[in-house]
Amino acid sequence: MSNIPSSPTAAADQVQLQHPTARQALLSHALTGHSHSPGRSYLASESPEGRSYTPIDFDGLSFPSMGARERREDTEVQRAARIQKISVAVRTILECIGEDPDREGLLKTPERYAKALMFFSKGYEESVTHLMNKALFQEDHDEMVIVKNIDVFSLCEHHMVPFTGKIHIGYIPKNGKVVGLSKIARLAEMFSRRLQVQERLTKQVALAMQELLDPLGVAVVMEASHFCMVMRGVQKPGSQTITSSMFGCFRDQAKTREEFLALIRGNSV
Amino acid sequence: MSIPTEPNGAAADNLELAQPVAKVVVAHALTGHSHSLGQSYMKAENPHTRGPSPIDFDGLSFPSIGARERREDTEESRAARIQKISGAVRTILECIGEDPNREGLLKTPERYAKALMFFSKGYEESVTHLMNKALFQEDHDEMVIVKNIDVFSLCEHHMVPFTGKIHIGYIPQNGKVVGLSKIARLAEMFSRRLQVQERLTKQVAIALQELLSPQGVAVVMEASHFCMVMRGVQKPGSQTITSSMFGCFRDNAKTREEFLSLIRRSGI
Repeated sequence: MSNIPSSPTAAADQVQLQHPTARQALLSHALTGHSHSPGRSYLASESPEGRSYTPIDFDGLSFPSMGARERREDTEVQRAARIQKISVAVRTILECIGEDPDREGLLKTPERYAKALMFFSKGYEESVTHLMNKALFQEDHDEMVIVKNIDVFSLCEHHMVPFTGKIHIGYIPKNGKVVGLSKIARLAEMFSRRLQVQERLTKQVALAMQELLDPLGVAVVMEASHFCMVMRGVQKPGSQTITSSMFGCFRDQAKTREEFLALIRGNSV
Repeated sequence: MSIPTEPNGAAADNLELAQPVAKVVVAHALTGHSHSLGQSYMKAENPHTRGPSPIDFDGLSFPSIGARERREDTEESRAARIQKISGAVRTILECIGEDPNREGLLKTPERYAKALMFFSKGYEESVTHLMNKALFQEDHDEMVIVKNIDVFSLCEHHMVPFTGKIHIGYIPQNGKVVGLSKIARLAEMFSRRLQVQERLTKQVAIALQELLSPQGVAVVMEASHFCMVMRGVQKPGSQTITSSMFGCFRDNAKTREEFLSLIRRSGI
């Protein structure tokens, strides 16, 4: 995608007109899942791994969904209105499956489910810049840094059933630019608390790390158990799905990649 | 509480009028239903349940309000249910700030509706149909255990899954044994509902008691609740264990101990 100008908005609009539906929609979809054309902020600058736009928006939102900005600017009243709307929908669902929404155990279930679902999708309203909390530091360190065995819990976007597992994230700092370790885990948490597909989750975490730190390389591996496969459908409880995302030196050099994979594999180094 | 033991419906109706509130309390303890029961529930007295028979005249066991309708569903009414749930899910997706028209979410309402109908298929299953006449006579009067049965259920408070293993044991009376897979099917039927772990364990035990009239029934379940792991207090390693003991398992400590040690050992 050759002639994307690097100056923001107006040029971005131009790009949108010159290269309409196909390519842009395809590219944006590959990364965000959005099949409509993205808002202009996505075209603000070109990131080499993103292939046409930055993964972190001007206000810190990362791959936001359509309603993410609204959700962020919610007042108490609006939030209560959302919960109310979801609760009504859940009541309908309970009747449809043949349950009695007025029995004691189910009386407050619509509200509880609504609040649970808002919690499971709170990743939409989190902002990367706010999350980072200025935890970028200078250290004289140019070796691999790995945070592994981070428990992640996400919702499968196809069935809205949980998938849970562990994510292992590693990077090699460039020019001594390191990030606070908990922020890596917070990044994983933020992207997982959404309606996700495991491939996209892995990739988004890697892209965000790449964008924030500009390191020599980023590696993300995730292994998860999908309840849509365990509880229904093919019903295979022992199965695990593994996805990975390698950028920079991890992608280019096999030895570096091997070292990372060996380090996350062992239970104790 | 003078529950009459004759099986006919009229007595049940009389009972309904004579002791309304108390009956509701007993019914609720077992089924979670706080409305008054249909008359079929008052058919016979089961000493372990403090209330009516757990298996209905048509084999439904602790049915929900809509269970009979669900069972008699035609293709169209089932499609109508899926449609209605899908509409509700679409609303939910908009409310959480997602775009229901993006490619990944286009068919999600229908998929979720079908998944939920699968997760609640226990309501429409009938115990008598399940048993498939798999009751046999064997010269066996020792403990029979089926353990490590994976169960997946939905928490009725948050509609989030809870998953774990259930271990079921019984001691036959007069050589009356049941096909082993039927025990697991019983567990599956009661778990595919909106459940509370305590009630699930108890319902499995009561149903087995009712079907076999054995010398004793023991059920132990250990599960991980995702409403506790993914949200709220967020403790991933935690497990909840519930048990139900009837008959000789309740009365004899040694029998109970033997059962518990047999399910504990990972390879005998």
